[in-house]
Amino acid sequence: MVQQAAVLDRAFAALSDATRRDILTRLGEGPATIGELAGPAGMTLTGLKKHVQVLEDAGLVVTEKIGRSRQCRLGGERLDDAMAWLTFYQRLWERRLDGLEAYFTLQKGLTE
Amino acid sequence: MTDTQTHDLRMTRLIPATPDEVFDAYTDAEKQKVWFSLLSDEPGIVEIDVDLRVGGIQHAKWGPSPDRLFWEDQTFLEIDRPHRLVTSSTGGTPDGDTMTTTIEITFEEAAGGTLMTVFQSGFPTEEMRDFFSTYAWVGAFDRITAFFAG
Repeated sequence: MVQQAAVLDRAFAALSDATRRDILTRLGEGPATIGELAGPAGMTLTGLKKHVQVLEDAGLVVTEKIGRSRQCRLGGERLDDAMAWLTFYQRLWERRLDGLEAYFTLQKGLTE
Repeated sequence: MTDTQTHDLRMTRLIPATPDEVFDAYTDAEKQKVWFSLLSDEPGIVEIDVDLRVGGIQHAKWGPSPDRLFWEDQTFLEIDRPHRLVTSSTGGTPDGDTMTTTIEITFEEAAGGTLMTVFQSGFPTEEMRDFFSTYAWVGAFDRITAFFAG
């Protein structure tokens, strides 16, 4: 459970950087090599590799060595985890508020 | 993004009863079991116990079967009956994931009953919202929009 929280922390820390969000956006269009990502970002290969490493550690990007280059693609599992929590609480509150409203509406109906 | 409000969950509902009645029904374990199951087609399992004092904990478990239980533990941080309730909430899923957030609930007298407002904060959504508000990705944009609209 603690491990799960640490994973989420890493995902959101990774997303807090504009360059890394740009990388994710580019990868949203399809896989790309480190070299293909570095050009538009105006970064050196070394600099870009560091960002990709952060994204990979956070579970947001998956990389694979193909021939002499490293191909990157999106791995969206961690963000889906975060979305699952928002849905969890939204459903819980809907059930609570709907339930409370129905409870008193019924009581009112019985006493009137 | 300069708007900090929408990073959190906020829901408001007019409940047809006095603030005292709503506060009591919301915090009483036996009443909670009744209204929490009221609208469910299959109530399944609902277990709730409440220790309503600052530092006390409300344990709740619910789900379709004993091996698929969701749970939430709320530690009471502030109790101002019947106006306000602040808790630290840790939620859990059957898969063993947990998340801790802060919940503030206010009960305001209003025409036709009590305006109950839930404000839940601490979701790690700031970066997520910034990201999704700019770029639709893996179908999550619709879901997050629906969430913040709720």
